[in-house]
Amino acid sequence: MKALRRYLDELHPKFARGGPWERFYPLYEAADTFLYSPADVTDGPSHIRDAMDLKRMMSLVVFALGPCILMACYNTGLQANLALESQVSAGVIASPADTGWRAALLEGLGLGFSAGNVLACFVHGLLYFLPVYLMTQIAGGFWEVLFACIRRHEVNEGFLVTGMLFPLTLPPTIPLWQVALGISFGVVIGKEVFGGTGKNFLNPALTARAFLYFAYPAFMSGDKVWVAVDGYTAATPLGALATAPKEMGIQSIETGLDISWADAFLGTIPGSMGETSTLCCLLGAIVLIATGVGSWRIMLSVLVGALGSAALFNLGAEGSDNPMFQMTPLWHLVTGGLAFGLVFMATDPVSASMTESGKWAYGLLIGVMTTLIRVINPGYPEGIMLAILFGNVFAPLIDYVVIQANIKRRLARSAQA
Amino acid sequence: MAQKKPLKVLTEPLFDDNPIARQILGICSALAVTTKLDASVVMALSVIFVTGSSGLIIGALREYIPNKIRIIFYMTVISSLVIVVDQVLQAFLPDIADQLSVFVGLIITNCIVMGRAEAFAQKSPPLLSFLDGIGNGLGYGLILVFVGFFRELLGSGQLWGHEVLWSSTWYERNLFMLAPPSALILIGLFIWLLRTFKPEQIEKE
Amino acid sequence: MLKPNSTSGTFLIALILCLVCSVVVSSVAVGLRGRQQENKRQKLRRNVLIAAGLWDADAGNKQIDEKFEQVETVLVNLPPREEGGIGDGEVEGLLNTTIDVGTYDARKASTQPVSSVEIPPELDLAGIKRRERVAPVYVVRDEAGNFSKLVLPVNGKGLWSTLYGFIALDADLVTIRGITFYDHAETPGLGGEITNPVWQQQWDGKIAFDEDGRPWIDVVKGSVVPGNPAADRQIDGLSGATITSVGVENLVNYWLGPDAFGPFLDAVRTGELDLTSAAAQPNASAEEE
Repeated sequence: MKALRRYLDELHPKFARGGPWERFYPLYEAADTFLYSPADVTDGPSHIRDAMDLKRMMSLVVFALGPCILMACYNTGLQANLALESQVSAGVIASPADTGWRAALLEGLGLGFSAGNVLACFVHGLLYFLPVYLMTQIAGGFWEVLFACIRRHEVNEGFLVTGMLFPLTLPPTIPLWQVALGISFGVVIGKEVFGGTGKNFLNPALTARAFLYFAYPAFMSGDKVWVAVDGYTAATPLGALATAPKEMGIQSIETGLDISWADAFLGTIPGSMGETSTLCCLLGAIVLIATGVGSWRIMLSVLVGALGSAALFNLGAEGSDNPMFQMTPLWHLVTGGLAFGLVFMATDPVSASMTESGKWAYGLLIGVMTTLIRVINPGYPEGIMLAILFGNVFAPLIDYVVIQANIKRRLARSAQA
Repeated sequence: MAQKKPLKVLTEPLFDDNPIARQILGICSALAVTTKLDASVVMALSVIFVTGSSGLIIGALREYIPNKIRIIFYMTVISSLVIVVDQVLQAFLPDIADQLSVFVGLIITNCIVMGRAEAFAQKSPPLLSFLDGIGNGLGYGLILVFVGFFRELLGSGQLWGHEVLWSSTWYERNLFMLAPPSALILIGLFIWLLRTFKPEQIEKE
Repeated sequence: MLKPNSTSGTFLIALILCLVCSVVVSSVAVGLRGRQQENKRQKLRRNVLIAAGLWDADAGNKQIDEKFEQVETVLVNLPPREEGGIGDGEVEGLLNTTIDVGTYDARKASTQPVSSVEIPPELDLAGIKRRERVAPVYVVRDEAGNFSKLVLPVNGKGLWSTLYGFIALDADLVTIRGITFYDHAETPGLGGEITNPVWQQQWDGKIAFDEDGRPWIDVVKGSVVPGNPAADRQIDGLSGATITSVGVENLVNYWLGPDAFGPFLDAVRTGELDLTSAAAQPNASAEEE
């Protein structure tokens, strides 16, 4: 380890001001601080010293995402293997082994395609998740480094989280060139044009996803994209209910898709890779709240907003032709990306409200908006992505109002005294 | 007021003082009509015609326009010109007129036209006002064509209604480019590009 | 000399301005009206030809008048359900002889209380709430003058907008020969694909009615499985546009059904109404004036 430190120190003059590789200092700096704590530590008396810096905070978020990532791999593989089993028994394909390089690799490793084998499912899913993840890192990292070099900023850890969140929100069948295009849009338009991490007002991962959603809807929604098997269609619960006849109601999920509430809670259902499991999001939420990284106020208020308005809509289920009215709050919680979005996306400290009372308003706005889009808007079965972006846009205004109200209150108090 | 050189009056609104990029005027139609290049060009020409002729007319009559009703006066002249353009388009370019729908009529409310009448034509001679109108119309049209070019190319894989490089066989259409918000982002990129080359346009904080 | 800023000067100049502008605007409007109406008519006729499969994309608008000599426009009485509005002695399902076909505007008629009827919600498959009492129908004949196709105007609700189009039926009045949409505001690239010729082509040859004569077209989710028993009445859904697809299915089933063109189609099938010979109706030739 010492040798590595010595090597980095020897390189330092070459990257420093005036050195031959001056332009690429951000790259050197990124590698150095990723491996070691920064050498320059605050020593003046006026600083608050806290173990919690940006690097540690972002690393904790990635740690909290752990269960979701593992589940993403397992469930993607599980869904694919289930689909393959049904295709083989229906005689559509002779053997799953000749359905592409992944299948060949799995066959070669001797893992097979059994949906009951946890390891086989996990590896199968990993083979889908990993390329998407690597593509995100390569394309997004390229823009990060490019802007850091031009602007002489440091590459910071913010991208670790963005680059982890984005692949989790995608369906497993997404083409890799779209992954690259989407994250490029998210990093450049969602973040860098405003000056980089900390100055963006939209969540970059969601900006990237929203771009793909509107640019290539055939690859981001509908029934063909959720299961990584060619030509296999499977509806998500939200998609199925939105187009179900009224009499079917919630039955269109339970019997129509054969998905129970427990399945949806555990996450063994078709959907975007990382967001199917409410349980894993719950584990992540516990980590974020316990370490103080994620705001419990935002999580709670999104939850109250979404489920409260869902309950209100549910009261009117009898009198409405819209089957979405029949979805109970508990079903809303476990379907779509609500849990994932409220734990990991809405709490993004850069794009959320900063003031404590502002966070309540911000969260409620997102929650109510999510349910509103899900239930009322006929065009989009899922609403959490649009709702959070909407909340992001309003966050500065909410903060402004809170701060102004605070100033007024204190002025009045000092006038009395 | 010191008179500007005619050439400068004509070219300044293109990059140095572009009505959309610099003054952020006339955005709404730039979002609505730019999904296809041909519609963008026709819209740009219509606006150039209106700004040019309203500059000419108001510049020529500037001594006779009663001060109290001057805004209404401009409005009447501009509305008449716009109605003429709208009627002509419906008669001779019906398909494009269908695409542009109400947005030709909305040129009346385009701030660029009114703004130039009040800020320039009412105190300048007709020819100079005409050039100023043409210049500002061109500045507006430049952005429209820029946006229309990329939206049609990326959104439909076509240019002027024709396939580009057999695009229908391999190009996956980017449907975001067919939605109005994409124009906002393209205009933003244009402003970014412009300010990279002309840093003096960046506002002081 | 004229003093623009005096009160009388202001009035005078305002007056002159108004006069000049109104003369310019109205002369342009009047001068170009003929051309504009011609354009509207051409657009309508072009879409009728597209639905009937007679349109040649390369030939342009010149072919319209020539090809329209094979097409006869007639007005049909849709089921009245309420009294009045279509003239005395008019019979449901038969041709209307009271209204002038040349000036009749069905879309305008469908919005006005006199010339339209309310559709009860249980019958309103197309989601349009009101429809006209009298609808134009285009009778297409082949070169020999024999009745070959019928083109019917249809409309109904999609996701964001009302879709307007034409559907063409074969002379057997069962087989669909084509469909087109000319006015809608669906999402470009998704629901907007109803104007895609490739999607429209698959309608040719589909069977529009079941054994009992009820309209039954099924726009399925995804692609039609070839060889399945219902394949000849199924249409591929538009990907990512479930609601628009369902809207198209419903509007076709509504307009071919008993509350719309059903009685007319029955009258032709039973021979009560004879479309086989040209100029069978007094009003038919009076069109285009």
